[in-house]
Amino acid sequence: MQVEIAHLNKTYRGGVVALNDFSLQLRPGVLGLLGPNGAGKSTLMNILATVTRPTSGSVKWNGDEIANRPDALRQVLGYLPQDFGVYPNLNPVEFLNYLAAVKGISQPAARRRIDELLDLVNLTDARKRPLGGFSGGMRQRVGIAQALLNDPQLLIVDEPTAGLDPEERVRFRNLLSELSGERIVVLSTHIVSDVEATATSIALIAKGTLVIHANPEELLRKVEGKVWEWILPSMELNAARERYLISNTLHRSDGVHARVVSFSMPPGAAPLPASLEDAYLYCLSNHQTGTAAS
Amino acid sequence: MKAARVIYHLARADFLERVRRYSFLLTLGFAGLLASGVYRGQIVLTLGHYYGAPNSAWFGAFLAMVATTFLSIVGFYIVRNTIQHDQQTRVGQILAATPITNSAYAAGKTLSNFAVLASMVLILALGAAVLQLARGHGAIDLWQLLSPFVLVALPAMAVVAALAVLSETIPGLRGGLGNVLYFFFWNGLLVTAFTIPAFDFAGLSLYMQSMGDTLRKVDPSYVNSFTLQIGPDKVATRQFEWQGLHWNATMIGERLLWLGVAVILAWLAARLFDRFDPAKESARLRKTKLKAAPPDEAGVVRAAGPRTVVHLTSPASTGRGNFSELIRAELRLMLAGTSRWWYLVALVLWVASLATPLDVSRGLLAAVWIWPLLLWSKMGVREGYYATSALVFSSPSPLHRQLPALWLSGVIVALAAGSGVALRLVIASDLHGLATWLAGALFIPTFALALGVFSGTSKVFEALYTVWWYVGPGNHVPYIDFMGTVASSGRPGFYFVLTAALLLAAYAGRRARLAYA
Repeated sequence: MQVEIAHLNKTYRGGVVALNDFSLQLRPGVLGLLGPNGAGKSTLMNILATVTRPTSGSVKWNGDEIANRPDALRQVLGYLPQDFGVYPNLNPVEFLNYLAAVKGISQPAARRRIDELLDLVNLTDARKRPLGGFSGGMRQRVGIAQALLNDPQLLIVDEPTAGLDPEERVRFRNLLSELSGERIVVLSTHIVSDVEATATSIALIAKGTLVIHANPEELLRKVEGKVWEWILPSMELNAARERYLISNTLHRSDGVHARVVSFSMPPGAAPLPASLEDAYLYCLSNHQTGTAAS
Repeated sequence: MKAARVIYHLARADFLERVRRYSFLLTLGFAGLLASGVYRGQIVLTLGHYYGAPNSAWFGAFLAMVATTFLSIVGFYIVRNTIQHDQQTRVGQILAATPITNSAYAAGKTLSNFAVLASMVLILALGAAVLQLARGHGAIDLWQLLSPFVLVALPAMAVVAALAVLSETIPGLRGGLGNVLYFFFWNGLLVTAFTIPAFDFAGLSLYMQSMGDTLRKVDPSYVNSFTLQIGPDKVATRQFEWQGLHWNATMIGERLLWLGVAVILAWLAARLFDRFDPAKESARLRKTKLKAAPPDEAGVVRAAGPRTVVHLTSPASTGRGNFSELIRAELRLMLAGTSRWWYLVALVLWVASLATPLDVSRGLLAAVWIWPLLLWSKMGVREGYYATSALVFSSPSPLHRQLPALWLSGVIVALAAGSGVALRLVIASDLHGLATWLAGALFIPTFALALGVFSGTSKVFEALYTVWWYVGPGNHVPYIDFMGTVASSGRPGFYFVLTAALLLAAYAGRRARLAYA
């Protein structure tokens, strides 16, 4: 089971380049696709989900070009787009039943699966309420349920935790981890903590190009010994930002506790264990400047 | 001053948003098409056997009337989505939280509508100038050429602009029903204008009176016969010279009164505008919400405690599945949200068409097949409108399974609704009638699907179908009567061919929409 993305390019009308010679191989596990806004993540998701055609390049599912056999992928695909709608007059059961029919799932199997999925996304109590009255988070959970309807081998989820409350976010992360064993999960997000909790490999994308594809340990090793806690007066924070890459700040009574990612230790700073967020910012900063962080 | 600035910026932003859409070019193209129709003699204005001498007054008045009659119907459908657009883009929710007043909002939207319609009027005014230069005789008289647009067409467009906003604020008229009812309202208003000049927002009786008075001096036998029609005319063979209206203060005041009517309509719209309040959503949703378990303040039904991941059963089969299940699913989706009253009326029509004599039953088909109009008008549109296209089109065979299932669900509605008439035809062994009936049942949903796929909006079908229904089945005109409401008017062969062509077009349109067919 694998997806091969080779030399993918996508240029929108007006000359906006969303993907630029993007290549990647996906195997079972959770791929965390990280990148800033406008990096090309959603375009890549749409191409993988057969919704958008690339300008050039190829995407192969188990060796088959999806342009030639899109249905081979669609039959085993679960897709949760970043922006999606629902039919407001239907309730969750009716909506999922409709999509099950569209996906070609037989009704008895769909019925059982829908019951389980509604339980899974904690919507059993709301199963008879029209979707038009749902909150954003509840709709998102319906979206998660529909993506899992056909027990997908390739699950693509684009910003899946947007609008979810903390409890639901944790539940969804656990679910992704459980699901990842025998399938490929592509999790696109800019929330590093979501990826940290679930991803078995991480692809960092910026301005349509692949910055790095590595497992979390490899990424963390890149910033090992480069993360520091530096306590400084709040007045000096702006000046420090100009010299160092600061990934986080906390105001305390003794000053600002700045989390600094840097080759050299700031004066009076203490070393800290590296986090994935540090690695993300470090790689992104390197990519943007073309140089190593100071 | 501040309110004026707010209205200006609201109207400007809305207008720019429309102008920068591809469809705006089509809008201007439609106005150009009307002007070229006049140039090529496909739209004619006649007074009995007479038509006007080609001068500035005639061309100005002629094209201004083209604007007030045709743009007042088509233009309404074009501009009637400004509040809905704010709702869909969620800009409305942002605006609702600003200090903008309902009056300023309605005024801004009316102004924006008016600017779009005025752009179309401008194209027609340019068309009049081109006609005068190409076909006219005598020097160009700018006042006579342009005053009909300024004093007749623009006030009429202001009324249409405000009516469009008003119809978007009245609950129940926001959807397709508003589109259908407007056609009958517009039709009634134009007809009434000839008998009650106070209703003459289009300025038709004003010109009929003036042109008639001039013509009677040349031909005293002339009786008021005033026709503005699409299609060549072979009756009018004589020319008469008309020098235009001599505007006086009263006439100008009467025309400007329509601007006042537009202001009142916009004011009314402001009073009815719900300010995108989700609490004022449809009664059905509200009622169901009350019945459901009370959500917490975030609207989220929370888990009672820590939960474990549920075991999921893998569905037995995926992919091709059972096609009949997909048809049933499409049918359920099409009928979702339909009230019991709708079914009751459909049932009454069905029983009436079965219980009445064949000729009456055939005539009843017009009512039977206008009733599900708003179900059909969503065909091919729903995925885009509700933003579910990424979900549906990433499923297996969206072109070869979902599209046919959607089409068949529309056909099933037509067959079921019209089955009373079909039974009458079977009983009478009227094979030609039965063939006509079948052609109609296939044609209507196919027409809806094709227009939906290509236009992406339900409005086009709602407007065109209503007009076609009124002109064809409503008046039993052969070829145009796709239902065969009288025995002699049906042309099944023509509609079978047209249906096949439309089906192919819908297929091609959907295929072009998909990344991979």
